[in-house]
Amino acid sequence: MTRLGFDYCMKITYEMEVGQCHYTMKCIPQSTRCQRVENIKIEAVPANKWQKGKDSFGNLTAYGSVDFPHSVFLFHVTGTVETGIRKFDEYKEESIIGNYKYPHGLVVPGEGLRAYHAALKEMMPSGGTAYEKGIYFMHRLHQDFTYEKNVTYINTTAEETWAERKGVCQDYAHILIALCRLENIPARYVAGMLEGEGLSHAWVEILTPDGWCALDATNDVEVTDSHIKINVGRDAADCMINRGIIIGGGGQTQEISVSVSRL
Amino acid sequence: MYDLDLLEHTDAVNELLARYGVKFGIYKNKTFKEQLFPFDAIPRVIGKKEFEYLERGLKQRVLALNLFLKDIYSDKKIVKDKVIPEEFIFISSGYLAECEGVMPVKGIYSHISGIDLVQGKDKNWYILEDNLRVPSGASYPMIARELCRRSSPMTFENVHLEDNRNYAQLLRKTMDYVNVGGHTVILTPGRYNAAYFEHSYLAEKTGAHLVNGSELQVKDDILYYVNSNGGLERVGAVYRRISDEYLDPMNFNPESLIGIPHIYDVFRKGNVAIINAPGNGVADDKGIYYFVPKMIKYYLGEEPVLQNAPTYLPFYREDMEYVLEHFDDLVLKDVAEAGGYGVVFGNSLSDEEKKRFIECLKNEPRRFIAQEVIDFLDIDILEDNSAVPRKADLRAFVLMADEPMVWKSGLTRFSRNPDSFIVNSSQGGGFKDTWVLSQ
Repeated sequence: MTRLGFDYCMKITYEMEVGQCHYTMKCIPQSTRCQRVENIKIEAVPANKWQKGKDSFGNLTAYGSVDFPHSVFLFHVTGTVETGIRKFDEYKEESIIGNYKYPHGLVVPGEGLRAYHAALKEMMPSGGTAYEKGIYFMHRLHQDFTYEKNVTYINTTAEETWAERKGVCQDYAHILIALCRLENIPARYVAGMLEGEGLSHAWVEILTPDGWCALDATNDVEVTDSHIKINVGRDAADCMINRGIIIGGGGQTQEISVSVSRL
Repeated sequence: MYDLDLLEHTDAVNELLARYGVKFGIYKNKTFKEQLFPFDAIPRVIGKKEFEYLERGLKQRVLALNLFLKDIYSDKKIVKDKVIPEEFIFISSGYLAECEGVMPVKGIYSHISGIDLVQGKDKNWYILEDNLRVPSGASYPMIARELCRRSSPMTFENVHLEDNRNYAQLLRKTMDYVNVGGHTVILTPGRYNAAYFEHSYLAEKTGAHLVNGSELQVKDDILYYVNSNGGLERVGAVYRRISDEYLDPMNFNPESLIGIPHIYDVFRKGNVAIINAPGNGVADDKGIYYFVPKMIKYYLGEEPVLQNAPTYLPFYREDMEYVLEHFDDLVLKDVAEAGGYGVVFGNSLSDEEKKRFIECLKNEPRRFIAQEVIDFLDIDILEDNSAVPRKADLRAFVLMADEPMVWKSGLTRFSRNPDSFIVNSSQGGGFKDTWVLSQ
């Protein structure tokens, strides 16, 4: 087992004061069969009251509103996570599993992805298990796709990014999800953190008879003890770590820093 | 037959309706146009016995639809028991994953249901569609009755009619039943909504506050009305006349400017009732419509009192074969469209169009339903002082408090064009009052 310390901080600085903002943060990891989360500390600036909740996918939420003028908004979460406990995560979402089986949102396959799936199916050894197929898709995708920043955006669909053959972790995850769902393997998006990276990360969980198996196509690995899962959903839009709206004008700078280190 | 004094007053009633602002707004070519909703003075009359039959069927249907919604957003027993294929739920555009595991106050999802029916030439009534999101239309026969009584009191002297002006009481009872403490408000997107007249009229008649999004505010998981002094007054029930998508930019469409940030989080915690509950679109989806008779049997263990129009689901192979064979006799409906759009009569297509349509149907069988064209019983409307027959439907309103209540009236809509079967108000038809006899 491994003990990781993490620090997630989002800071928005406004050029002019804003009168009101509303936010929903999904940046609090929770304990599962695969990770044990402890010592969570949350700091918000302005230091107003926020509410705790859970969304329909089972993720923890922290949400609230600031209804007085402020020029800085900050949300800061720290904690420790034990990882590497177990490989497969518990399957307990039976009543909502259909959400992870059908095309939705950013993961609706078009002609390009359908053709890619058909080509992979040709080459894939027949009779494989869901786990073997998932691993196969991940390896192939890792070879057929190039990591490149600033060519895709948060709203880029799986089909669009596949047409370019390049993108970032979110795009790898979306394409792998599309391939698995076309193969009738339930697959979901995971937003998380990775040791040594300054940004949040994304990968995929596929459903196997042993539970959820987590595949990181960007790095071509099954998740390791360096990964901390934050939240899950059908696609990146469900898993936005921070969502907010502000009432008021002017420019703003948003800084997000993520750090994960071994304790 | 039409020896009604009322008919002499048609123009007077229409003028009054115009003065009261009884209008229907439509968007055409992206511009908003308001048009009068023409009133036809010949009432549709439904006998006491016949309405009792409709009432039984409507109550049963709305009970089953409510149980379906409760089941779909929790255990999905009806899917596990293979009565409805799973994909019809999850691919439906009305299904909202955000509603999973969220229980509305007292488990009621569809507080106000608008059920559209037609009567065939065989005198049988058929259900055309269920409207469980924000069905509109009750205000039109309400105010029409009021104005008719004023213009022609003698018309009403000798007929034994159910008074339909009690809709406001039924609605108030429905809203009060789920109110968790505090004000009841009617939330309108504002003046440029097709049904704005109705929002203001229902607020006036029920005594609820008519508010827009900016007058409501969430603080610490409680919803408040911001009064004119800037003070916060708690709200316990919101009859919202805006769609799910625009209700809460923090939980649904983030671009929404008319919604209330975090209102859905308040609802999730059970601290406010939202009327109707978000997520109902999964039950009035045209694809799910096919399964409503099965739902009635499944949840209530009863035979359906009211029948659907005979419907085929190309998703099933036998049905697809039937549809291809009888294409010219059927009407095809795109399950994603509403308001009379996406409706195609098989026999109206050219060979080329038909070929293209069938290709589309084969590629996406889940997207369409096919129905037998019902031979509607025409009803008369007045045109240039003579009665002419036109197609018409009936939107019945069922309100759900501790038990379902059917409003003893309804909105009868007719098509202006003698050849058209489409009576939707967004396509320029008119309306009639619906008289339910009390003896």
